[in-house]
Amino acid sequence: MDDYVMGLLAGLAFGVLIVAIVKLRMRKVARTPGEKADYLGRRRARMLPVLALLFLSQQASFFAQFGSGDHAPAETVKIAAWLVLSIVLIATLATRGFWLEPAEIRALIDDENTRANRLDAMRWGFLFAMAAAILVYVVTLFDTVTGREAVHLVMSFGIAAAILRWGALERRAYRDA
Amino acid sequence: MPERLSNRLKACRTELGLTQAELAERVGVTRKTVNTVENGVFTPSTILALKLAEALDRTVEELFQIIED
Repeated sequence: MDDYVMGLLAGLAFGVLIVAIVKLRMRKVARTPGEKADYLGRRRARMLPVLALLFLSQQASFFAQFGSGDHAPAETVKIAAWLVLSIVLIATLATRGFWLEPAEIRALIDDENTRANRLDAMRWGFLFAMAAAILVYVVTLFDTVTGREAVHLVMSFGIAAAILRWGALERRAYRDA
Repeated sequence: MPERLSNRLKACRTELGLTQAELAERVGVTRKTVNTVENGVFTPSTILALKLAEALDRTVEELFQIIED
């Protein structure tokens, strides 16, 4: 099987496993929609920095071979898994996330304050992605950077900055709550 | 001159004996949003300000004031 496909499947399997664990834990406790939204929101605030660190740690394989343009099969799998996580994080940022929850809960989780935090996080993500693009452009003046490497850098900076910013804003919002 | 939004949300809420969660449920947001408005971290939209005022049986002006630093 192609290394990239294996990586994509590994990333998807990891995501499905996390969703299954969360769903099983949620079934044990009866909550009102407000309580459930509050619980999920708090968990998201705790998870966002962890996800950002996980996302950045995945970059080690890529940056270890930065510039070589050639990746070992095992590393290629990791890089493809990074792509899956990138797509999931971008989708979470761009939508409300919690796609398997009822519409009422999703609307509550993405209430006015969360929307404001999410939009601010996306603004940060855009600015960091642009900064990374400028950095790549400068590097290309002195060294060769492949298209894939450039995309990887821009996406990594943008997504990680947005997720970290969102996590920080959400944690601040829950302070004293 | 710098201005900021001050509010009496917490005082009005406690006068009615409401918790943040109960007020949040009345206006259709999470407790986090009520908390951030009370703490001055988040400036609510006009719609939310009107909903909060209605839920607490006050006018918007009674709940929110502009303060010049």
